[in-house]
Amino acid sequence: MKKMSFGWDKGILVFLFLTIIVGSFITPYFANASNMSFVIQDIGEFMLMALPVTFLIIAGEIDLSIGSTVSLSSASIGLSYRHGLPFWLCIIIGPLVGLLCGLINGILVTKFGLQSLAVTIGTLALYRGLCFVLLGNQPVNQMPSSYTDLGSNSIPHTFFPYVSVLIVIFGAIAWFTLHYSRLGRWTYAIGINVEAAKFSGIPVARMKLALFAITGLMAGIAGVVYTFRFASASPDGATGYELSVIASVLFGGVSIAGGVGTIWGVMGAVLELGAIRSVLQLSNVSVNTLLVVSGGLLLLSVAVPRAIEIYRNRRKLVSKS
Amino acid sequence: MNKIVLRLLNVREVPVFVALLLVLTVTEIANPHFISKSGAQDLFLGVAVIATLSVGQTFVITMRHVDLSVGSTAGFTAYMIGRVSGYHHGLIFCLLVALAIGLIVGACNGFLVAYLKLPSLVVTLSSLWIVRGIFNQIVSGNTITDNQVPNSLGYLGRHSFLDIPYVFIVALVLVLVASFVMRNLRPARDLYAMGSNPPASALAGIPVARRTFFAFLACGAVSGLGGAILLARFHSADSNSGLGLELNVIAACVVGGVAIAGGVGTPYGALLGALLLQSITLALGALGVSQFWQLAVNGALLISAISLDRYLSLRVKPTRILRAT
Repeated sequence: MKKMSFGWDKGILVFLFLTIIVGSFITPYFANASNMSFVIQDIGEFMLMALPVTFLIIAGEIDLSIGSTVSLSSASIGLSYRHGLPFWLCIIIGPLVGLLCGLINGILVTKFGLQSLAVTIGTLALYRGLCFVLLGNQPVNQMPSSYTDLGSNSIPHTFFPYVSVLIVIFGAIAWFTLHYSRLGRWTYAIGINVEAAKFSGIPVARMKLALFAITGLMAGIAGVVYTFRFASASPDGATGYELSVIASVLFGGVSIAGGVGTIWGVMGAVLELGAIRSVLQLSNVSVNTLLVVSGGLLLLSVAVPRAIEIYRNRRKLVSKS
Repeated sequence: MNKIVLRLLNVREVPVFVALLLVLTVTEIANPHFISKSGAQDLFLGVAVIATLSVGQTFVITMRHVDLSVGSTAGFTAYMIGRVSGYHHGLIFCLLVALAIGLIVGACNGFLVAYLKLPSLVVTLSSLWIVRGIFNQIVSGNTITDNQVPNSLGYLGRHSFLDIPYVFIVALVLVLVASFVMRNLRPARDLYAMGSNPPASALAGIPVARRTFFAFLACGAVSGLGGAILLARFHSADSNSGLGLELNVIAACVVGGVAIAGGVGTPYGALLGALLLQSITLALGALGVSQFWQLAVNGALLISAISLDRYLSLRVKPTRILRAT
């Protein structure tokens, strides 16, 4: 029933495997515990956001405001801490702010019937602007290190940073929901044909609203992780994250047209991009090459399935005639 | 009377224009120094680059696509003009280099979108990064400073005709030409058809792939030349030139009535959108609102613009159908 994009999502896992093997041959610093820990830490926020964005894109919508939401969550943590609130309360405020941001996006898209691309370009600017309103241009530093250590240290006796706990939990929830629950099948149905989904009784508007809200919530949680990792909150943090997250989701075999994609493909893609970045950095390749490589990979992820499709169609035509 | 109002509401650019006048009047009443020589210059200078780039973007958005690579391309060509000019080449040669870069990027985007039928958002997101990567590799930390800017470009950026900066006049001419083209020439009219109903336009015999290709090519060319405006405006260029410009350009288009869903909009509407966004930024400054509010207000404005547009289109739709029959 599920339409596979010609196994690109499985190809990603092979890619990831190859990258790790080739990487450990190229540079001895790649496959050791501290670097692995660093790689996972580096992709933490991206992974947390890529999971709900996968749902959103499969349902045929998009959210460009997530980078700003991460920053707004981080900024509100910083602001409430600056005003003397206990830190555990600040940590709850961040995700709540994210949830609110997501709800606003969702209401604008579902209740007002607006295009999500246009809406979220607007809220991208709005939420980022609010970060500056909240913090001015003064970053908040000196957060309690008992908390921020969670952002930079690993779980004792392993090389897994603490964020991997969140990744495993949320990854499992997303995987189960998308592939084994009614909500997941609804998501695909909405993405494949929204009219048909409506007529078959799926509460499309409520479902989309929920997806936007969850995306906001997860961006808020990513904001907490971000704040912990850098032990500070600044108004211009997490700039451009939205495009990186969307790129890795698409790289993971999710079709921008909706209706196609898998969670393991996306998780593999986020890991793969992190691994490639690490390999290239360790072999002293410049940041610019990294940009070109990411762009090229993204292009390949849509071009290869398309090329296979064209090739197959041609063969079909030939065999018919 | 009612009919006239309805017809005016049918013109998508009218609400934007009214809003622009409103912002300027209200701010002028609150702060009588707002509309002045320097105020006008700030407004026009700030808008020139966005207005130029939004011309190409209008072509692309009208046919229900999007081009995210314009900021990278414009930044790249801004730098290259300065660099090439440093080797004592004339302005024409520099502009040709810029145009060539723009055309190459546009042709790549256009080929992938039009003939391989890849989604434009993904393709142009990739080219955004690839162009920026190549650009930064070539720059490698250098900066184009004022004395490397070709003299005539520097002149355009510094001087004005009747208090209107030359860079804005160049952008304005481009916008007017593009508006004429989109109103009157068939290939450009086809873009509207493709944006409102892609399958129908293919069935009606419009060469959809070719039109798509040339629209992206035009967008690339405009972005290439937009680099010249960028260089003229800022008198400098480095690896951060044009960073993030694409979203501002799309915002100006959307505020100016170029709907992201395709099929409607004009280049002069996008210019009005850019003017409105910029005038609000300046108005906040003139009203003494903290600069930190500017971005948030721009975002809120963008959202209210598309909400208003949606509201109006729901109300005005019946008359539109009547007029079409």
